[in-house]
Amino acid sequence: MANSSSGHGHVHHWETSVAPMLIVGGILFAVVFAFIGWFSYNSTMLAVVSAGVGTPLLLAGIAKWTGEALTQKPLVEGLSPAAMPIFIISEVFIFLSLFAGYWTMRLSAGADWPPAGTPTNFNLVLPIIMTVILVASSWTYHVAEAKLEHNDKAGFKSWVLISIVLGVIFLGCTFYEYSHLLHMKFTPSTNAYSSAFYSITGFHASHVLVGLGIFVTILLAAMRGLTNKYLTFCAGLYWHFVDIVWFFVASQVYYW
Amino acid sequence: MSTASSGFKLSEWIFTTDHKRIGILYLIGSIAAFALAGIMALLIRIEQSSPGATIVSDVYTGGEQYNVWLYFHGAAMILGFLIPGLTGFAANYLIPLMIGAKDVAFPRINALSVWLFWAGIVVALLTFVVPDKPDFMWTGYPPYSIKSGGNLALYVFTVHLIGFSSILASVNFLVTIIYMRAPGMGWMQLNMFIWGSFTALIIQLVFVPVLAAAVTLLLFDRYLGTHFYDPSNGGDVLLYQNLFWFYSHPAVYVIFLPAMGIFYEIYATMAKNRIFNYKAAVYGMIGIVVVAGEVWVHHLYYSGMPDWIRIGQMVTTLLISVPVGLMTISMFGTLYKGAITFNIPMYYGVAALYLLLIGGLTGIPLAMTVMAVHLGETSFTHAHFHFIMGIFATFSVFAAVDFWFPKISGRMLHVGRAKVGFWLNFIGVNVTFWPLFIIGVDGMPRRYWDYSQFPAYFADYHKVATIGAFIVAVGMIITVSNWLFSAISGEKAGNNPWGSKSLEWTHTETPPGPGNFPKDVVVDAEWTPYNYSR
Repeated sequence: MANSSSGHGHVHHWETSVAPMLIVGGILFAVVFAFIGWFSYNSTMLAVVSAGVGTPLLLAGIAKWTGEALTQKPLVEGLSPAAMPIFIISEVFIFLSLFAGYWTMRLSAGADWPPAGTPTNFNLVLPIIMTVILVASSWTYHVAEAKLEHNDKAGFKSWVLISIVLGVIFLGCTFYEYSHLLHMKFTPSTNAYSSAFYSITGFHASHVLVGLGIFVTILLAAMRGLTNKYLTFCAGLYWHFVDIVWFFVASQVYYW
Repeated sequence: MSTASSGFKLSEWIFTTDHKRIGILYLIGSIAAFALAGIMALLIRIEQSSPGATIVSDVYTGGEQYNVWLYFHGAAMILGFLIPGLTGFAANYLIPLMIGAKDVAFPRINALSVWLFWAGIVVALLTFVVPDKPDFMWTGYPPYSIKSGGNLALYVFTVHLIGFSSILASVNFLVTIIYMRAPGMGWMQLNMFIWGSFTALIIQLVFVPVLAAAVTLLLFDRYLGTHFYDPSNGGDVLLYQNLFWFYSHPAVYVIFLPAMGIFYEIYATMAKNRIFNYKAAVYGMIGIVVVAGEVWVHHLYYSGMPDWIRIGQMVTTLLISVPVGLMTISMFGTLYKGAITFNIPMYYGVAALYLLLIGGLTGIPLAMTVMAVHLGETSFTHAHFHFIMGIFATFSVFAAVDFWFPKISGRMLHVGRAKVGFWLNFIGVNVTFWPLFIIGVDGMPRRYWDYSQFPAYFADYHKVATIGAFIVAVGMIITVSNWLFSAISGEKAGNNPWGSKSLEWTHTETPPGPGNFPKDVVVDAEWTPYNYSR
C-alpha cells in the first residue's frame, strides 16, 4: 500500500500500471460477485466461480503492485508515512460507528444485559491470552524494524516471520472461540449481544488478516532482496493501530 | 519537452496512472451515470404528470418499478455523478496543475480509485439486469430495505466500492496538497478550488467510513440475521438513520465546497479581479468542516426525538449560513467593479448565484423545527434540495468542463451550441422546480406517484414540471454533445485563452503532457493565482 508512484524526476511518457485494474477486478469478482452469488441467489456455483476468477486477479495485482512499488523511484519519496495516519483516521471512524451501534443496543437494554441466549460460561481468559499475543506481535515487529534499520536483512526476515506466526495464532484463537460459541448455539442472529460480538470481533479480525497479508507481502519481497523502509514503517503503523483497537474491542465487548 | 507520445493508445488510457487522464476517466463515468440517472428522472416526471398510474404497470403488485427509478436516480446522481464529478474529475485534473506538481502523491492508488468508482457503477448498473431490483431509495432505510425483496447487496456494494474509492482519493489528495505544492507556495496563496477540495476531502475522509459501517450493518442484518436495526430484538431502527445522515448530510458539503471553488475560479478569471476577502472565505470553508458534523439530526425531525435535540439541531443548522454567507459576500465582492467577460462559464457562474440564493433561502424554513413540520417531506423540500444540491452542483460540473475545456481538449468550445444548451438548462430547471415549491407549500408530499387523494390542481403543476424536465433533457443533450463536437472539430486553443493568472493556464502547454510542466514551477511570495494588478 505504501510508496506507490511510478514517476521519475522528469517525465516524458505516459505512465501506466496494470496492477490497479487487476486488483479492482479481483475485488469485484472475489468479494462482490461471490457474496451476491452466495447470499442473494443461494448459488454455490456462482460464488465459487466468482471467487475462482477473482482471487488470482487480486493476487496477481498485489504482486505486480508490490514489484513496481519496490523497484521504481516515486516522484516524491517518503510521503507514505504521512498518508498512513490519514488513512487510519478513516479506519477509526469505521470502528467508532460499529461501537456506536453496540453502545446504542447495550445502553437501551439497561438491566436486561446480556440478553437471553448468551452463554453464561463465556471464556474470559482467552481474550487476555489474545491481548498478550497481539501486543507481543507489535513488539516483535518493532524489533524487525530495528533490524532493518541496522541493515540486518536476515534478522529482519526472521522477526517479520515471528510477527506473522503470532498474528496467525491470534486468528487461530478467534477461530477456536467462534467454533466453540457456534457449537453452543450462540450465532450472529441469537440476540443483540451476539450481533455486536461477531460484527466487532469479526471486523477486527479482518484487519488482522489484512495486516498479515501486508506482512507476508513484505516477507516475500524481502526474500527477493527487496525492502523499503517506508513500506515497513507503514505496515508497522497499521499493525500497531490494529493492536490498539483490540484493547477497545476486548474491554468493551468481553468485560463490560 | 513534455509533448504527448503521438497517437491514441488504448492501453495508455485504461492502465494510466496520470492524474489528467484519470480525471477524464472519472468524467466519462460520471457523465454516463448522470445520463442514466437523468432518464430515471424523466420516467419519474412522466409518472407524476397525472394523479393516478401513468406509466407504471405493476400497480397491483406494489409499484416497485417506480421505486426502482427513485432508487437509481438518487444513488447514481449522488454517488455516481456529483461526488465523482467534483472530487473525482475536477480534483484529479486540477489539483496537481494548480499547485505546480507533476502528479499526485500516489499515482497508482489514484488509478485504483478511479477503477473502484467504475466498479461501483458496474454494480449499480446490475440493477437493470437482476430480477430483484433494489427499490428502497438511495437512503436504504430499514426496516423496508431489509424486508423488501430488492437486492440489498447491490446497494451496499455500490456504496462500499465508491466509498473506498473516495477514502483512498481523500488520503491521496490531502497528502498531495500538504506536501507537493510548488516551492514558495504558502497556504494563503492557494487557489480557492484547492481550498474547496481540501476541506471537502477532509469531510469525505472522516464521514464516508461511517456510511460504509451503516450499510455494512444493514448487510449483516439482511444476510446474517443480526439485529442492529431490529427493535424487537434489542436493536434500534433510528441507529441507521443517525449513522446514514452523519455521513450523508456532510456529503452535501463534499459537493458544495468544490462547487464553490470552481465558481470562485471562474469569477476571478472572468472579472480579472482578486478574491474579495480571501481569508474570510477560506475560514468560511474551514467553518463548514467544523459545523458539518453537528447538523445531521435535522434529517430525523420527522422520525421522533426529544425536543431539546430539535432546538439544538435547529441552531447548528442555521449556523451553517454564517460561513456560507462569508463565501457569498466574497463572491459578490470578487465580481464587484471587475472587468467582467460574459462567456459560457460566466453564464453558469451567474446562474449559480441565483441558484445559491433560492436554494439557500428555502433551506432556512426547513431548518426551523416549526416550519419543518409543515414543509418537510413535501415537494418543497424536494425543490429546495434540487436547487442547491442538484442543480447548483450540476451547473458547477458543467461550468468546470466549459471553463477548463480549452486546457483539457486543446480546443475551444463551440459557443453558439453551448449558449442554447445553457438557456434550455436554466429555463428548464426553473420550469421544473418552481411549481414543486408552490404545491409543496400546499401540501404535496414528495415522492408520491399516486396523489389522486390530494387537490386536483396539483396535477397541473406536475404537468408543468414534467415539461420543464424535458426542456432540461434537451439542454443536457445539446451541452454534452457539444463537448464531443468541440473536442473533435473546435478551433485550436492557445495556452491561456482566458488570460488567467493561475498555474494551470500560465505554466502548462495545451493540453498538458506527461509531467504537466515543461519546467519545474517555483513561485515567490508576491504570487497568487489572482494577482491581476501585478
